[in-house]
Amino acid sequence: MPNPHIQVGVDTGGTFTDFLIRDGERYFARKTRSTPDDPARAIIKELADITADEIVHGSTVATNALLERKGARTAFVTTEGFEDILEIGRQNRPELYNFFAASRPRLIPRNLTFGAPERILHDGSVERELTDEAAEALARRIREAGAESVAVCLLHSYVNPAHEQLLGNKLERLFVSLSHKILPEYREYERASTTVVNAYVSPLMDRYLRRLDQRLTAGRLRVFQSNGGSISTRAAGHSAIHTVLSGPAGGVLGAAAVARSAGFKKIISFDMGGTSTDVSLYDNGFTYTTESKIGDFPIRVPMLDIHSVGAGGGSITYLDSAGALRVGPRSAGAHPGPVCYGEGDEITVTDANLMLGRLDPEQFLGGRMPLDIERTRRRMTSFAESVGTSPNSLAKAIIQIANSNMERAIRAISVERGYDPRDFALLSFGGAGPQHACELAARLEMKTVIVPQHAGVLSALGMLSADCVRDFSQSTLGRNVNEVFTELEARASREFDAEGLPQVHFERQVDLRYEGQSFEITVPAADRDRFHDAHRKRYGYDHSGLAVEAVTARIRAVAPLDKIDLDAPTQAETFSSVYIPPGWASCGDAAGNLILTTP
Amino acid sequence: MSGLNLELEVFRNIFLSIADEMGIVLRRTAFSANIKERLDFSCAVYDRHAETIAMGDHMPVHLGAMPFSVAEALRSYTIDPGDIVILNDPFRGGTHLPDITSVSAVFTTDDPEPAYYLATRAHHADVGGMSPGSMPLAREIYQEGLRIPPVKLFRRGEIQNETLDLILANVRTPEERRGDLAAQVASHRIGERRLLAATEKYGRGRISRQMDALKDYTERMMRVRLQGIPDGEYDFEDFLDDDGFGSPPVRIHCRLTICGDRALVDYSGSAQQQRGGVNANLSITVAATMYCFRCLIDDDAPFNSGLLRPIEVLTKPGSVLDAQPPASVAAGNVETSQRITDTLLGALQKALPEKIPAASAGTMNNLSLGGIDPLTGLPFAYYETIAGGMGARPTADGMDAVQNHMTNSLNTPVEALEHLYPLLMRRYAIRRGSGGEGKYRGGDGVIREFEFLTDTDFALLSDRRQTRPYGAQGGHPSQPGQNLLNGNPLPSKGHFTAGAGDRLTIKTPGGGGFGRPRVMEP
Repeated sequence: MPNPHIQVGVDTGGTFTDFLIRDGERYFARKTRSTPDDPARAIIKELADITADEIVHGSTVATNALLERKGARTAFVTTEGFEDILEIGRQNRPELYNFFAASRPRLIPRNLTFGAPERILHDGSVERELTDEAAEALARRIREAGAESVAVCLLHSYVNPAHEQLLGNKLERLFVSLSHKILPEYREYERASTTVVNAYVSPLMDRYLRRLDQRLTAGRLRVFQSNGGSISTRAAGHSAIHTVLSGPAGGVLGAAAVARSAGFKKIISFDMGGTSTDVSLYDNGFTYTTESKIGDFPIRVPMLDIHSVGAGGGSITYLDSAGALRVGPRSAGAHPGPVCYGEGDEITVTDANLMLGRLDPEQFLGGRMPLDIERTRRRMTSFAESVGTSPNSLAKAIIQIANSNMERAIRAISVERGYDPRDFALLSFGGAGPQHACELAARLEMKTVIVPQHAGVLSALGMLSADCVRDFSQSTLGRNVNEVFTELEARASREFDAEGLPQVHFERQVDLRYEGQSFEITVPAADRDRFHDAHRKRYGYDHSGLAVEAVTARIRAVAPLDKIDLDAPTQAETFSSVYIPPGWASCGDAAGNLILTTP
Repeated sequence: MSGLNLELEVFRNIFLSIADEMGIVLRRTAFSANIKERLDFSCAVYDRHAETIAMGDHMPVHLGAMPFSVAEALRSYTIDPGDIVILNDPFRGGTHLPDITSVSAVFTTDDPEPAYYLATRAHHADVGGMSPGSMPLAREIYQEGLRIPPVKLFRRGEIQNETLDLILANVRTPEERRGDLAAQVASHRIGERRLLAATEKYGRGRISRQMDALKDYTERMMRVRLQGIPDGEYDFEDFLDDDGFGSPPVRIHCRLTICGDRALVDYSGSAQQQRGGVNANLSITVAATMYCFRCLIDDDAPFNSGLLRPIEVLTKPGSVLDAQPPASVAAGNVETSQRITDTLLGALQKALPEKIPAASAGTMNNLSLGGIDPLTGLPFAYYETIAGGMGARPTADGMDAVQNHMTNSLNTPVEALEHLYPLLMRRYAIRRGSGGEGKYRGGDGVIREFEFLTDTDFALLSDRRQTRPYGAQGGHPSQPGQNLLNGNPLPSKGHFTAGAGDRLTIKTPGGGGFGRPRVMEP
């Protein structure tokens, strides 16, 4: 493939759309306000003067459609007798001690839920056949109900997909998501939820991408996914489930790219924004999870393992009914924002940083938004007096509490998975990250903090460092694992060929567990013996005498794309304020990153 | 306390994350569906006084009762480093036999006395006794399964194989038990490692002070909340259908007295202990009481022993809420605990009509079953509880098909169930129209229909088949539940046998309605 001359990474966020543009050997960043009513507008406008050969785009269209309940009119088909499985879920209530917790949200109304007269058993045998006439009749009812998109999840379809395929054929011309294709793994609720979310968001994503593709004058558009790879617009339009949470994934990829070029192989990325903080672990390779949730919906496709907590610069400080100081999860957001923005009256983490001189009031957002430090000082003083302490002690306590929340998040992705954070460097980005990074690192006894040159557009940078990656999986219960791998690779090859990417290589992985357990550990298929070690690392012990069974075969198909070289000279950027506590030394590296260390 | 404890939240995070991590290890390495899929377990951290400091958001019925296990283990033994004591005896720190609790002590290097304690509780799918799943309808505890007083499963890090062998010889699925116990042990090891790391980092003195401060903090929260309830006496009674042996409805009564920032909950007007297993011991009664009061606090208060300091619980020994040996108790933990909740919330309804919902389903619909799996020739044993409707809230309808009050265990996925056991699920649906009418409707219950693929013994411990979950403020009661075998009604509690092709249908109750139903204009 020819080396594209101009490449652009585009990350659409809630407030800003970020661009990283590579022109030959040069790089430069751009930032513009997002246009949530039509996210394409900001992109078209900002790229008007650029003829890009390739654009890699991280979009929030799918995520927003889900969170704002603006997805397609979607029907749900499942085995007769089980029409309520989405509503029942796992039958647990969301909050243990709250009588007033909100009821489970519902994406599919009852009149768009259909039972198929069929039954397949756990071994794949057909107990009740779905007849051609019955499938035809069902398809007619679904069309008559006015569905635009259809999710089909029949019991045990991951063993025998015949009935789902038959329904898929009868539903042609509608947007169809079949569960055995989206997630061929057992546990019907999670598979149904994943399939339904895909059906619900894909039509919007598809329309959006088509429009954007038409309006972009030149170049090939690719879509960034939450597994850290990119795919074609066609594939993204069918399986938009793979793009939810792609924004944070871009940051993790960017963090890893920066770290590698700076000579670090083990990092924990720490992205602290206004309302939340995302952390992820990179150990000479990314870590993935198949147990994500968005809102209340389980989504079981592989994604980069990113842990999010509701603690950010805008987190609000308050005293609870027993007089304890609390921080978050309520956030002042952009409006009214922290006290120092001039409107809000509730003290936030940002105010505490300002109070302690860790934020330069003149340099906030590159000086575009001066902060009112007097306002913060007044409010902090009166709050501190009311609780009998000094404003500085109060500010320090606020930061400590916020840091302890973030420490818990980092422990969740490191200690709880058998990693020792002391072996890692903390790579900090996001508006508020660099003010907290050193103290947070110290809490975890981490010795190095990296603040990257491109901290402001790290996610867009990450998108430019992505390969074309697609994940395929198949339940192997009762099957020969190698046969399953061969099938998956054949399928992956066909799909990559269709995208004009013949240079694909495969990574075979397998989910293993001790026979009788219910949670699997993913290990490389060539190295199954690593399972016992992995079990011990993660849980503190193993049962090396017990039989091990393979539950799911996984293929990661990777077609390498031309990637950016981060050592190339770049246009200088202003850092957000970095707080360097006593005991830390700082230096810049050749690529313009700031490296902070403590003995 | 003078001044502001600026670190409280920091330490709260530390202790809670230890309890959470213990739970993650237990869940992910367990072998029985009941623990790994349904999450029927709990983990907690205790201070040097054996008072609760932190518990994961696990099973409410476990959390309030586990301190009794820790106390009993300490009464029985000196716990040395590396020891793990297990127990399930309801009259010596347990609740019902399938719940096996493990207790260990954590020592710091500078002190021969324990600095902290850890405990886990997991509901094991079978602990022997007269029926598979060990949730039988029995007349005495001896029939219910293997009774384990506090015994050391580990001494100074060495597993006690004689003890383990004795246990495994008495259960139907010994390998599964072995795996589940190993998972509990692993959970202790992780908790210990994390507590010691925290102690090294922050110092023993600072940790002890913050543990004390957390208990005081929760106590303050509880007192502030109690002050917001009008002083007075509030009476309420509710009933269990029967004890399974043809008894009349079993009365649960409470008289709640609120006085300033204190509460007295007097259950001594409740029925005598029964022949069937609806008897609850004191720890269950306390756990249910704690749960109700915890729900009154809006802030996310840490659930620790400070919660109970302003609350006094009175029971009559020998009554159904303070059972004495040799009472059978299998349903006390899972059915009577729900009725205690209904009763205390009913009393609180009178004091706080705009804060307390109508009655929820009020039963866990316990189904246990087993036999010989024709595929493997080995015994199988399975246990599950089934959701019902939530009572309508003062501001909203009740939720459909959820676990209520004292349990929050998950369902076993149909596809997992059919892989593991000779069962075929025929129907799993919301039972429309079962919630009570009202200004806000009670949530609907569930219909779950099993087909047995081989000869199977099963036991049902369910309730609200005759008595109905009450409505509040003019709302209507909900539909009671129903158990059917091939369409023929079965009693709420009992033992049954079924053959291949037989179908068991369980229809669970909805929740009561709240407020008078709106009258339709003619």
